[in-house]
Amino acid sequence: MIRDFIFFFSEALISIRRSGLMIAISIATISVSLVIFGIFLLISANISNLSNFFSAKLEVRVYLKDQVAQTDIPQLKAQFESMPHVRKVEFIDRDVAWDDFKKNFPTIKLNSILSNNPLPHAFRLTVSETEQIPSLVTSIRTLKTVDHVSEMGEYANRIATFSKYTRIAGIILVSLLTMATLLIIVNTIRLTVIARQDEISIMQLVGATVSFIRWPFIIEGLIIGIIGAVIAITFLSFGYSLLVVKFQQSVPFVPMLFDQMALNLIYLTVFALGTILGIFGAYLSVSKTVQHY
Amino acid sequence: MIRIKRLRKVYPNGFVALEDVDLHITRNEFVYLVGQSGAGKSTLLNMLYRADVPTSGEIYIDNISLSGLAPKQVPYLRRSIGVIFQDYKLLPKRTVYENVAFALRVMHFSRSRIRRQVTQVLELVGLQQKMNHYPSELSGGEQQRICIARAIVNNPPVLLADEPTGSLDPDTSWEIMQLLSKINARQTTVVVATHNKAIVDDIRKRVVALEHGRIVRDEQLGLYHA
Repeated sequence: MIRDFIFFFSEALISIRRSGLMIAISIATISVSLVIFGIFLLISANISNLSNFFSAKLEVRVYLKDQVAQTDIPQLKAQFESMPHVRKVEFIDRDVAWDDFKKNFPTIKLNSILSNNPLPHAFRLTVSETEQIPSLVTSIRTLKTVDHVSEMGEYANRIATFSKYTRIAGIILVSLLTMATLLIIVNTIRLTVIARQDEISIMQLVGATVSFIRWPFIIEGLIIGIIGAVIAITFLSFGYSLLVVKFQQSVPFVPMLFDQMALNLIYLTVFALGTILGIFGAYLSVSKTVQHY
Repeated sequence: MIRIKRLRKVYPNGFVALEDVDLHITRNEFVYLVGQSGAGKSTLLNMLYRADVPTSGEIYIDNISLSGLAPKQVPYLRRSIGVIFQDYKLLPKRTVYENVAFALRVMHFSRSRIRRQVTQVLELVGLQQKMNHYPSELSGGEQQRICIARAIVNNPPVLLADEPTGSLDPDTSWEIMQLLSKINARQTTVVVATHNKAIVDDIRKRVVALEHGRIVRDEQLGLYHA
């Protein structure tokens, strides 16, 4: 009911005003934890972004020697196509590849460094099974026209392994932090509960239900959680955009996550964790502190 | 209204506060519980509004057994019992009006109904002029009136008073007791624990005397001492 809610809300504000310092400390703690949680989410999202970037797992690139003439191309293509487990063969002209590269990395002023195209002609081979890639690569390497072979699958695999371990480490770190934050919120709210013990005992005397007594504190926890989350998100979004700019300047070839939708989802997760921590912390501390009938 | 059967209360430290107490209080009765400190008066009152539970025995209020009451139902029992104390138990940072309105808020009354009932009850206890004062600005007698107003604002059928005149001067005590009599006359069962001899002997009502946790005397229109 609205009039009850107004009452609960004003009670929560009274309580926050009375124990200002403890509330401020709680908000700071929850902010720090949420920032770390957010950083973990951002790192994790970037790693999986990177992994997708390389995850043309079933792809082998064959770079040809410079002296290979354009006329030899059809014959080579046929040769690759005849190899076992090769599903598709695509020729990548060096000029096309160079244009693509320049388009992909507009921040690098390539023309000022290089006068002509450094890229060789290449073939992109799509393989039917990952396990067949090593033997295929060995046999292609024996060809005289081939300069070198790169298989992106290896990078993708390595990144996938790396991302698995960072995820595990992150989950452990975040759960420990969440526990610590929860304890701090529980204690903060408990102090405000104790500060209002007289009021609570009078409420119980005149027949207030436990949930009626609990609501103002839940709202207090919610306010702490929301303020903490907003601070954390502000910090994260400013920090990230700053970092992205710096990163793109120094290591421009590493793709970073730009997708605003994906970033918003991360910030929303941080916000949700903050509010849940606030509410749950308050609930726990009132249940533990308020004497039951 | 209130029926107590073979009530016994032993505190965890082994102190026997009440022993074999049988008491029947009818509707709209006015009863003094008298006896020395430690005789068990407060313990008995606390168990009536379930601030404490007996070791054994039964209490019925309006034929409802308190021992069969689930913790969730206790708030609803409390709404039918008003309680006043020697130390008033008021909220210092709230005005007279807010202190009384607090009790009705807890019961989800509407704002207009709260205003109507609080104004009425403050008139009854004679504090309508001091509605917006804070408890600390008022005298002890006036503070006790706020406490009484809060206890009866929702017209509970039972009013319990634990040493209501314990910290008041004789004249004020007399006024407070007159007020309790007035409330009793409005269809409310009143139980007053007191050791104010002058009051008990002056405003004559039923007297139940406790000694070492046992009822030793129970007489209509009795005196403080037999």
